[in-house]
Amino acid sequence: MQEKSEITIERIRPKKKRNIFYRYFKQFDLQMMVIPGLLFIFIFNYIPMYGVLMSFQDYNIFDGMRNSPWVGFKHFEMFFNDPRFMEIMRNTIVISGLKILICFPAPIILALMLNEVKNMAFKRSVQTITYLPHFLSWVIVAGFAMSILATDNGSLNIALEKAGLIDEPINFLAIPQYFWTIIVTTNLWKSIGFASIVYIAAIAGVDQQLYEAAALDGASRFKQMFLITIPSIMPIIVIFFILEVGNLLNAGFEDLLILGDDAILRSVSDVLDTYVYRVGIGSGRYSYATAIGLFKAVISVGLLTLANYLARKTGNSLW
Amino acid sequence: MKFKQQHWYTLLILLLTVGIIAGCSESSTNTDADSDQEETENGETADGEPFVLGEEPLEITMFGNYDWYTMPGWGDDEATAWIKENKQVDITAVDGGGNAEQRLTTMIAGEDLPDFIWTDRGTPVERLREGGALVPLDPYLDKYTNLRDWFGEAGINMLRSEDGHLYQFPNWYNSSPFGNAGYVVNKGIYEELGSPPLETTDDLYEYLKLVQENYPDVIPFEVGIDGQGINVLYSAFAEGESPANINNIAVPQGDQLVSIFTDENYIESMKYASQLFRERLITQDALTQDQDMLIEKVTTGNLAVYAAASPTDHARTGHYALQEEDPDGGYFMIWPIHKEGLDKNEIYPGSYNMMGWNVSVITKAAEDPEKVFAFLDWLTGPEGQASLIFGPEGKYWDGFDEEGFPRFTDAYYEDPEGLATIEEDTANFQWNGNSNFLDTAKANFEATLSEEHRNWTTHWQHTITWDTQYDATQYLNISPLPESEEGIIQQRIGEIFEEARAEALYAQSDEEVEAIMARAEESAQSVGYQTLLDFQTEKWQENLATLAGE
Repeated sequence: MQEKSEITIERIRPKKKRNIFYRYFKQFDLQMMVIPGLLFIFIFNYIPMYGVLMSFQDYNIFDGMRNSPWVGFKHFEMFFNDPRFMEIMRNTIVISGLKILICFPAPIILALMLNEVKNMAFKRSVQTITYLPHFLSWVIVAGFAMSILATDNGSLNIALEKAGLIDEPINFLAIPQYFWTIIVTTNLWKSIGFASIVYIAAIAGVDQQLYEAAALDGASRFKQMFLITIPSIMPIIVIFFILEVGNLLNAGFEDLLILGDDAILRSVSDVLDTYVYRVGIGSGRYSYATAIGLFKAVISVGLLTLANYLARKTGNSLW
Repeated sequence: MKFKQQHWYTLLILLLTVGIIAGCSESSTNTDADSDQEETENGETADGEPFVLGEEPLEITMFGNYDWYTMPGWGDDEATAWIKENKQVDITAVDGGGNAEQRLTTMIAGEDLPDFIWTDRGTPVERLREGGALVPLDPYLDKYTNLRDWFGEAGINMLRSEDGHLYQFPNWYNSSPFGNAGYVVNKGIYEELGSPPLETTDDLYEYLKLVQENYPDVIPFEVGIDGQGINVLYSAFAEGESPANINNIAVPQGDQLVSIFTDENYIESMKYASQLFRERLITQDALTQDQDMLIEKVTTGNLAVYAAASPTDHARTGHYALQEEDPDGGYFMIWPIHKEGLDKNEIYPGSYNMMGWNVSVITKAAEDPEKVFAFLDWLTGPEGQASLIFGPEGKYWDGFDEEGFPRFTDAYYEDPEGLATIEEDTANFQWNGNSNFLDTAKANFEATLSEEHRNWTTHWQHTITWDTQYDATQYLNISPLPESEEGIIQQRIGEIFEEARAEALYAQSDEEVEAIMARAEESAQSVGYQTLLDFQTEKWQENLATLAGE
């Protein structure tokens, strides 16, 4: 099979090189369908990009971009010299890293586990129950978390007290050491089911004959999982991993903003996005906020490219 | 598989093209800001005959710069229907859609401002003024005189911007004290525990201990959201000061504003609060709880003492709810707690200022700003206020007495519910409430009622809270603009302060509180606290001079 496709590609190539427009018009009807999508991306994702120029100005909303003075890298320097810079970068990377470490493999494991379940009714209900939280907004999820973790009348504290594990209620949301655990756990609860859908679908697409052949050769359920299921869905895992790495500087926003409300948690909860919101948008320092946003975007593109480069070595890259 | 180099080039060229096109298309906008600035300099007084409402139809657009604000339909209630019909004024609002700041920014950028904006004093106003978007109001002051008559020249001078012009129309301005900050006590629990004295900080501590022993499930000391009650406690240690110092993050000392982190009274109050917290006498969710959690506790009576910036809001509902279960229960207020040795008449758990709450500003987008001002001035005057709060003339009031206050009819006394409905329905139209007028008018009525017939809140306002609020007018507008050097410092100081406050509250000993404050002082000084304090001192001294009438 492999050889055959190589041959067809060889045959097409000379044609393509000869005339790209010929190819384009040959698929005119198909190309027309792509245009609305391209236009949409162009208008809403590319045109607004000129706004990043704001980060090199002392932008004044009344003067607009044309009349605001240019100040070079002033806002970038201000950010790098901010006393909180290191702390914010650390929190961003640590929280994001923890999310990748725990929230990324978790749905894969869930999908693998569900794949082994033979009772369809049970499988379906687990799937439904786990993906529902995805549709709740963070305000609600954080509200749940806060009332569970509350000191006065919080269910967790009551449970621990009843079990005799603690004598006095613990103020979970005011102890910095606990914060990352709380954030990662709530994220995991909210995202695990929905993220696993794509893996479940990928597993369903694996050729059943492979399993039958393996079973005949005497492979156990575990062997089948490691030697057939995982390698088959590897391309999907790698692609999602690349996207996840590109998102390293997006450590989350609403979850941190709501759950990390207590000032005592700021040293562990303040990430780039919450900082931009509070300092930049909150007090109308648009240029400063844009500069941080641009800084974040540049790093993200770099990370994405790097991750893709590494993935290309395995043959499963995004482009 | 490789993403071809030529594709990268195409992408780059595409991006550059977009940038250039977008950059150029901006050119036609924003050229009139400067020319407008000059126009306002001419003519201190507006010429021509005053505009009389009702002579011709007047349409006004407004924007309330608050996330929670949605203007009800103008003319949907009795009072505004009357104004719409008889004064021919129609008002439409631009809705903030729950994100007022963003909506306002969009309107500024799109040069699509409404006729007037209802917003907080200070930064929002100054930013609009610096951008040349506001109309100075001075030319109209002599022509439409309600504002000057009721608010006074000193007040107007305090509201003037740096350039000497007046741009803002105040709301709920008041020359006598108002506010509800203080301590609310759960009557049922208090009486069952033998009504011990509750005057000093030691009394309070003993009482809270007693509550903890006898009612393990009740919160001994509730502090409201954002730990407001902890700020209220500061007042117990600081004679002649108020929690306004905490909001300013600066304490007056002689003619200087100095660091709060080194202030003895503040440190002492934090030690006290920390001790209460450590011994679980303060609600353990003090800094994290939300409004719902608080309301539940207050309405079910699940607390013994409740201190906040306006505890009466929820306590009033709670009081009536508790009384339904037990006629002897409910809440009452106590005279503010003081530290042993201080003068209890010099303790101020809250503050107010004569400028009231917020302001309205008229923008240059208004076709005829004078007419907008004429309307606002009418609304703050006797006829406007009486119509808005007591309904159209003829039902609850009829004409004015010789002092200029409305003459109430029998219906006013007999139908308090109908009257309350009018005031509630117009709550979101009260853009420039005139407390000087309304309070005097209402006081005549309240004086005729016996205690049990008085509204719970009104009763405590008259007996305790209004006498114990501090006049903080002198500290108005001492904050710098956020983009300025001092503004950036202030933002950092604010964060250091918030963190230190939380750390101190959770501290395990008095020594730790001291160490936290010392550390906070050090970090504050390293980001330029002194520069900010100098700036604030200067503004404060200017205010004092203005208030003294210089």
